[in-house]
Amino acid sequence: MVTFELNIWFYTGCTLTIIGSLATVWGPGVKDPIVRTLNTEIPSVGISLMLLTYNHTLALLTFVATSVVISLILLRAITRLEEIGAEV
Amino acid sequence: MLVPEFVPQIFCSLYLPAIYTGFIVGFVGLVGIAINKSDIHVLILTDIVGLAMLIVVGAVGTDLAEALILPGLVVELAEILAISEILISREMRKKGKSSSLLPTPYVFDMEVMTTAPNFLSLLLIGYGIFLTGFTGGVVAGGGILLYVLSRKAKGLPIVLIDGIGAISGIAWCLWIVGFLLFFITPDLWLLSLFLAACGLLLKVASKMGLIGTLMREEFKRE
Repeated sequence: MVTFELNIWFYTGCTLTIIGSLATVWGPGVKDPIVRTLNTEIPSVGISLMLLTYNHTLALLTFVATSVVISLILLRAITRLEEIGAEV
Repeated sequence: MLVPEFVPQIFCSLYLPAIYTGFIVGFVGLVGIAINKSDIHVLILTDIVGLAMLIVVGAVGTDLAEALILPGLVVELAEILAISEILISREMRKKGKSSSLLPTPYVFDMEVMTTAPNFLSLLLIGYGIFLTGFTGGVVAGGGILLYVLSRKAKGLPIVLIDGIGAISGIAWCLWIVGFLLFFITPDLWLLSLFLAACGLLLKVASKMGLIGTLMREEFKRE
């Protein structure tokens, strides 16, 4: 019988979330807001794994949808600011 | 430890690591906000703090925690949308240039937009009303969105848009009354369940319809 090890998913999620948040704040190249926005995807994956461990199906589905929409909004906001000529 | 018996044992053992992860992520995000000066960078970092909030709520591991994550996500989305619009409009005033939401004008030239929007949106709205609740609201709202976007020729009058907003407010009250009845008179659980479900249906559907009305201004742009 194959046992399903829950802790692996949970601790991978925790690690990804912490590393991803550090990468978003102090990671290489985060002076560029687009790089910073893309780095926020790493903690998003971590949180998805944690929600998966907790069996929060609806929350997981909604989280995946909203994180995509949030990164779209942020990317468009950055490009709009650059179109206007503001400092980002 | 004061834990209700319906919380699985494994979630109890995962609680402390999850809470510590949440606090570490929240602390890192707040430090990042404190040392950054640029507004857009701060906005991106509030996303990280929102994720920390999700972990702290989700670590409880019950159905109530899952139910509390959903409004948190939606509020975070609305907040980021609103703040980014405020930032952009402020910069537009400073620089005297303008920039619209969509980079290029969208012209949909699909056959389904002219031949079958009535039927398809009726089907979606009917199925959404049958489902009720959050899911039903999304399905019915998708039907309204399809109808509004495909009828590009004439615009809805302002009174109607305000009316949709009013429906949304009344539906919110239904939802709150339903929730209150759950606690005051648990005997009427069926009535309160339906009040909450139908309120949420109207609320979500009218919100999606409102998005359609607002977005159509963008779609009409040549």
